[in-house]
Amino acid sequence: MATAAPDLRHSSDPPDPLDPLAALHPTLWRASQIGRVAGEVCTSGQPALDVELPGGGWPCRTLTELLLPHPGIGELRLLAPVATALLAAMPARPLIWFDPPAEPCPWALAALGIAWQRLVVVRSRDGARGRARERLPAADVLWALEHTLASGQAAAVLAWLPAQLPADALRRLQLAAQGHPGPAFLLRDAQARLKPSPAPLRLLLHPGPGPDALRLQILKRRGPPLAGTLRLRLPAVLAESARQRSRLFDAAAAVARSQQPTDQPADAAALAQVAPVARVA
Amino acid sequence: MPAASPRSPWWLAVHLPALALEAWAATLPATGEPLALIEQHRIAAVDARATAAGVRVGMRRATALALAPQLRLGEADPTREAAALRAVVHAALAFTPAVVLPAGQGATVLLEAGASLRLFGGAQALIDRLRAALAPLGHQLALAAAPTALGAAWLVRWKARAGPPATTTGGATTGADLLPGPATLPALRRLLGAAPCTLATAGALHAEAIAGLGVQTLAELLALPRAGLARRFGPALLDEIDRAFGQRPDPQTWQQAPPRFAERIELLARAEHSAPLMAAAAVLLQRLLAWAAARQARIAAFELVLHGESSARSESAAATADLALRIELASPSVDAGHLGLLLRERLERQSLLAPVLELSLRCDALSQAPPPSGDLFPDTAGDPATQAAGLARLLERLRARLGDDHVLRLEAVPDHRPEHAHRWRPALAATTSAASATSASGNPAALPLHRPVWLLEPPEPLSERDALPCWQGRPLRLLSGPERIEAGWWDVGLASAGSAVARDYFIAEAGDGSLLWVWRHRLPAAVQGQGQGQGQGAWFLHGRFG
Repeated sequence: MATAAPDLRHSSDPPDPLDPLAALHPTLWRASQIGRVAGEVCTSGQPALDVELPGGGWPCRTLTELLLPHPGIGELRLLAPVATALLAAMPARPLIWFDPPAEPCPWALAALGIAWQRLVVVRSRDGARGRARERLPAADVLWALEHTLASGQAAAVLAWLPAQLPADALRRLQLAAQGHPGPAFLLRDAQARLKPSPAPLRLLLHPGPGPDALRLQILKRRGPPLAGTLRLRLPAVLAESARQRSRLFDAAAAVARSQQPTDQPADAAALAQVAPVARVA
Repeated sequence: MPAASPRSPWWLAVHLPALALEAWAATLPATGEPLALIEQHRIAAVDARATAAGVRVGMRRATALALAPQLRLGEADPTREAAALRAVVHAALAFTPAVVLPAGQGATVLLEAGASLRLFGGAQALIDRLRAALAPLGHQLALAAAPTALGAAWLVRWKARAGPPATTTGGATTGADLLPGPATLPALRRLLGAAPCTLATAGALHAEAIAGLGVQTLAELLALPRAGLARRFGPALLDEIDRAFGQRPDPQTWQQAPPRFAERIELLARAEHSAPLMAAAAVLLQRLLAWAAARQARIAAFELVLHGESSARSESAAATADLALRIELASPSVDAGHLGLLLRERLERQSLLAPVLELSLRCDALSQAPPPSGDLFPDTAGDPATQAAGLARLLERLRARLGDDHVLRLEAVPDHRPEHAHRWRPALAATTSAASATSASGNPAALPLHRPVWLLEPPEPLSERDALPCWQGRPLRLLSGPERIEAGWWDVGLASAGSAVARDYFIAEAGDGSLLWVWRHRLPAAVQGQGQGQGQGAWFLHGRFG
């Protein structure tokens, strides 16, 4: 599935000085190129990801949607570099989180480099969590998020929003995000991936393969769609010995599976990596 | 002729010709109906629309209603007028401590500002600032100045009365000739000489007798022998005229702003939702700001009390039907727009249990610190001070809407037990920015990353298969551990039973590759003696590595 022509993207970013069309005007964009963002971007800290993002990083003054199957797959390790950089760049502004899915642990945040002293958490008033929250309109948190974005007083904004949202909510947020100096990340359940969204950048995240890794699909970006899956290494939680143990488990599982008579391909380890992607896609 | 000596008093009289009507109409919805006030079954005050319909002061109620059937009538209420006048006094106290409410002069406030004219940049500048300060209270104003207190009061009432001669609350004509007013006593005497005798309180009492003498103006009255006047009308009349003309000392009782602000306002319709409440609360808020200006301070917190229906019927039930909304400000402010915004957010999220009949606003938390200095170039977005102010306002607004316990900041607690290692505090902007100074979080790579970012509260029990914990039906792979956390024995006696922990923590890999933090009791549940209910060796999911 990662066989779609990825060579298109390499021809575009950064614009080739020898290409007369690219030098014509900064806003000139050809459909085969990755979009160039007029505003500033923040580097994601992952070079493999930066290459695929229009402009070379997380776009500022706009929404970025991250869709996760469940919280706790490495999303904060992915976002920690940009949060740290933004907090350092704007020393008087806080990091504001809206409706985080669980209690954040300050020591873990410190280990990620996020100054928890500057974290402000806004919780919606309805105590419903989990599935019940999916059905309730998150009016409070949408209101607070919109005002925070429009005020431009936050360094970085992370909002955990339900998959079901009123139709115009995201559009309002996208408008409000224009007043926000940094990127605004919306983290939603992966079931929202089939719903339309005005966010110009939408990513679908999967854990694995193996621990401390993340697979990432770009559902939407300014530019040609990326058919393949990006594999990113995350800051390691596990020591090397523990990671080896995980590999041993994998090998044992592969052996166990290959001994079972199935009509599946023989390369069970490869299948184990591909299968979740196929299921989601 | 040279101006008066620098020490000569300069009295400014502020007359509010339509105060009674405006104080009543402030809480009314603007419907465009003609309005009139009734006192003892007679019309006491009318607005412009009612005047246009032919309603006049002194008419009977039935006559007025026949002329204007849609006329909205209200009872005159001296308490309400006094409260409105108090706000004007407070606004005036911001300019000078010498503020007087003259007796028998109607809704008039006197200010003596002769010593401060140079500070304010002249009489006209002071008058402009006073008008600007009084504008939010929403009253019609008539101003006049004179070297004596009573003289100024008479001048302003005379001029206010001189419009349509039949009504006392006619249009407010503020002749430019009254400002900055006659500078000297002889000029004042010349001016007041042409005024009618009924301006004086005693003169109004004896109006018919004086008119019977063929005397109209004060000059004509003073031309009569003083001894005869004193015998005929009592000494009060001459005494009053002498004080107005500056021939007798005129001691005053100075007004003071009370140390605490507490004002009530009655809603004329039962308010069942927040929109009419907000209109009335805005009136109170303007009075609060006038009081804060008089105290030369900024407001740190205030409390709006909604008096429900039952409180009006029986005072004993007041406690149950009243609802107090307290609004604390992160940084003290006298910005009416900001305070109003906070109040509106707070009112909108408040569900009213009973219709509200009265509002009262209380404030005893003032900040006496000097106000923040203004910006020479106010568009400097990068200025830390303005940024901190903007952030404080944002957080205040979020707190007003969502409540203090929904806008939080994290505080780390040095405790080995993960569930006790953090604490939530209300997010005040001051603490957030103060923490930013000490937010040197060090080199992230230097710290080991062995704690999960997300902690589940409370830990989620896991099923067990083959001595391994299962999550979502699949066994977990224990990759790292155990890490033993055994602490908190000192908390056992407290209410939170079981806060002493003895656990073995493992980092486990779920089927999809995400990492979990699971634990089991170090000791079997039977030995533990706690009602865990999960059986021996039960596993719990405590965190996720986000």
